[in-house]
Amino acid sequence: MNKFPRPGLAARARCLSAASLMLLAPVAHAAKTPVYAITKAKVVTVSGAVIENATVVMRDGLLVDIGPAAVIPKDARVIDGTGLTLTPGLIDAYSGAGMPTAPRPTGGGGGGGGAAAAVPATPPANPINPASSIYERVRVADALRARDSGITTIVPIPRDGLVFGTASVMNLVGEKSEGMVVMPNVAFAASIATLRQAYPGSLMGTMAYFRQTLMDAAYHRSEVAAYEKSPVGKKRPAFDPGLDAWADVAAGKTPLLLQTPRVGDLRRAFALGDEFKLKLILAGNMRASDDLGFVKSRKPALLVSVNFDPARAGGGFGGPGGDDDKERADIESAETNPAALDKEGVKFALVSGFANDFLVGIRKAVEKGLPRDVALRAVTLTPAEILGVSDRMGSVEKGKIANVVLWSGDPLTRDAKIKMVFVDGELYEPEEKPAGPPGGGGGPRPGEEQGNAATIRVQNEVKR
Amino acid sequence: MNRSITLRAAFAASAFLSTAVLAQDNVTAITNAKIITVSSAGIIEKGTILIKGGKITSVGANVTAPAGATVIDAAGRVVTPGLIDAHSHTAVEGGVNECTNIVTAEVRVADALDPHDMNLYRQLAGGVTSANVLHGSCNSIGGQNATIKLRWGVPSGDELLFKGAPPGIKFALGENPKRTNFGGGVRRYPATRMGVEVTIRNAFLEAKAYKKEWDDYDAAVRTAAGSGGPIHSGRSAGAPGGGSMPRPQAPRKDLQMEALKEILEGKRLVHAHSYRADEILMLIDVANEMGFKIATFQHVLEGYKVASEIAKHGAGGSTFSDWWAYKMEAYDAIPYNAAIMASHGVVVSLNSDSDELARRLYWEAAKTVRYGGVTEEEAFKMVTINPAKQLRIDKWVGSIEVGKDADLAIFKSHPFAPDTRVEMTLVDGKVLFDRSKDVAARTGVAATLGGGQ
Repeated sequence: MNKFPRPGLAARARCLSAASLMLLAPVAHAAKTPVYAITKAKVVTVSGAVIENATVVMRDGLLVDIGPAAVIPKDARVIDGTGLTLTPGLIDAYSGAGMPTAPRPTGGGGGGGGAAAAVPATPPANPINPASSIYERVRVADALRARDSGITTIVPIPRDGLVFGTASVMNLVGEKSEGMVVMPNVAFAASIATLRQAYPGSLMGTMAYFRQTLMDAAYHRSEVAAYEKSPVGKKRPAFDPGLDAWADVAAGKTPLLLQTPRVGDLRRAFALGDEFKLKLILAGNMRASDDLGFVKSRKPALLVSVNFDPARAGGGFGGPGGDDDKERADIESAETNPAALDKEGVKFALVSGFANDFLVGIRKAVEKGLPRDVALRAVTLTPAEILGVSDRMGSVEKGKIANVVLWSGDPLTRDAKIKMVFVDGELYEPEEKPAGPPGGGGGPRPGEEQGNAATIRVQNEVKR
Repeated sequence: MNRSITLRAAFAASAFLSTAVLAQDNVTAITNAKIITVSSAGIIEKGTILIKGGKITSVGANVTAPAGATVIDAAGRVVTPGLIDAHSHTAVEGGVNECTNIVTAEVRVADALDPHDMNLYRQLAGGVTSANVLHGSCNSIGGQNATIKLRWGVPSGDELLFKGAPPGIKFALGENPKRTNFGGGVRRYPATRMGVEVTIRNAFLEAKAYKKEWDDYDAAVRTAAGSGGPIHSGRSAGAPGGGSMPRPQAPRKDLQMEALKEILEGKRLVHAHSYRADEILMLIDVANEMGFKIATFQHVLEGYKVASEIAKHGAGGSTFSDWWAYKMEAYDAIPYNAAIMASHGVVVSLNSDSDELARRLYWEAAKTVRYGGVTEEEAFKMVTINPAKQLRIDKWVGSIEVGKDADLAIFKSHPFAPDTRVEMTLVDGKVLFDRSKDVAARTGVAATLGGGQ
């Protein structure tokens, strides 16, 4: 595909004067989002039936008309979708997109008997950060690259740490992180993790930490409430933004989005949830199918990672102290986990879980037996439901946000190519990737100005 | 590769066994067995044990299996109570030490239990049916223990817990909490035995103040309720009520202090890792001063020097048979320790502190016959009823008596014989290890792996 890379003004003027059959004008920053009409596409709505030969009209960042009889507005830029499939944009509800990569500790633990592990060169950002809003830490240019995988929406989560703070749903569009936020306070994020050389340094400690913190948050809130009711004669309670951030979790208002890496963490999370009457969303769960009875009976809001072979301490295969057989078995069971859950009727969303390429993981789950339509729902409507945003995204329906992907080939197959991605109705076209090493090319570079640079295109170019 | 085959074989075997669990409503009869009851009934040369609902319903030479009973013919075998390991770190994931603070009484081993730990199965193969799973010895007051049954096959850590067992906690003295043998890490207080003592004393001074705060609060709530004020509703916001007395403000609940408060109230058992005689006496002094009891001294390698003092305090001693010299504070250990402590009236158990040693605790007991001349009967108590007493679970386990849990080990020969091995282990009347099935599964798995790689 021959693409216009961010033409300058002169180039834009030339294009305009060329007056082709159907010419799409570039949009200035902060201008109204253009009106698009994609015609003759196969539309996989996810919420309803597949519609063949349909027109999808987007205006003001919304899906305004869908169907074979949809009228193409006069002011629309028309894109011929012949041979293309349109799906909802993918939602990655546990994403590392735009989050800094923490330096890996060098050396690893090595010796047993309580010998201290080597100290990482640069310690990660504060691992306990309850009062922070994660969206503020998102590097926009890095995050936007996730659109190359058809992702339109993310819930970014820091890669390391124990308590991450407030998690937001963000659309991959625009230039500023706050402008990307669809829902600022979707959950409060934490992980059943342990810290190096700081409390809690053990799983036991982590559970005790959560328990005490939830108690403290509720107590703090009651103290503040009592003080506010009648401050006279009372010592003022200390301002504690961390406990304030936890208080809505403790009150069961804000869901606790908890990373549950171990098989037993599912039950641990529920034990905590039951004790404190929490709303839970559980992320990770690569071995949830090992505890099917529990999953089926408690029906957790489940985000299942496709990061099947994450970086491991000790360097992975062949690493010092590694157990290759066990590692191989872990990877295999993680890969079949989504299919095994689905077979038992368990509903779940797939998430990248910091994997480099979400699509690769989704495809692997499909190869291992997860039906493709289930996989698509698990990365669109189901995460939207779990996050409480299915009223505005997750399916191709009139009135929802215009987050859609145009694919050549069957979506989520190896041959599928992502031709166009619309986020809030803004068009983005991934660069054609040469067959080569993954991760290279595609998408804007860090620091590169974003916008609507790639919106100039001529209809006949699409007909290929 | 052999190791992984064995692992998988054991997994397969366990899966097989879990489907072959004996129905709880049916009677199981273990017949023709030599029974070491570890009770006043002594040794029954040829007898029968009846099990129903997970409990022992009948034991004796003249007991007959009812019609329809599931019969386990133990002719030529020796049936004993399931062994109890009074010091274990089995089935804990994510670390057995919360090392970062000198007092971590708020952390709970029960939160980190891993029911899928293969060591549970391996230890069943050594006849172990219950264990005191302890926090590590990193700090002077460590985390809360979990007394478990080795119910291999249950899906959750909670289902391993020994119902009714009183809660406990780990203390540690000497080199480990002062981090003598763990160079390279961050130095933290204390670095001396003096410091260890101070941390314990300070923690209890704080706990006493905490306890008083809550006792005062509870009294105030009672008074308010008595005077027509609002009824105590747990977490109080301190808002004035409609009655004549204002509702008192509840103190902050501190999980670390709660655990220490329970110790002061005699509700939580202290298991104190210790080596040297002086530190044992030190802790007895601190406990007397603060008003609490030590349930067991663990390791207690110099217990033989202060056995009378330990007995007088009412503490048990849980020691190794013959480990010594693995660190400076372990140089004065002698293999007569268990025998000498027992002869001074200390309830003595032999523990493993090791996933590996736990599989042959019966031979650990045998060593006290050789070193110290303990009778075979008394020696076997050190891995059955004595640890049960130390953990306050002896009304359910530790001997073969009517009404007790059917936690049993079936040995090939006398448990002290050098050629013995465990053929079958039952927990709550369920067969959770069966050597014949394990062996069969092993060959089956080897075949599926291509004849054994």
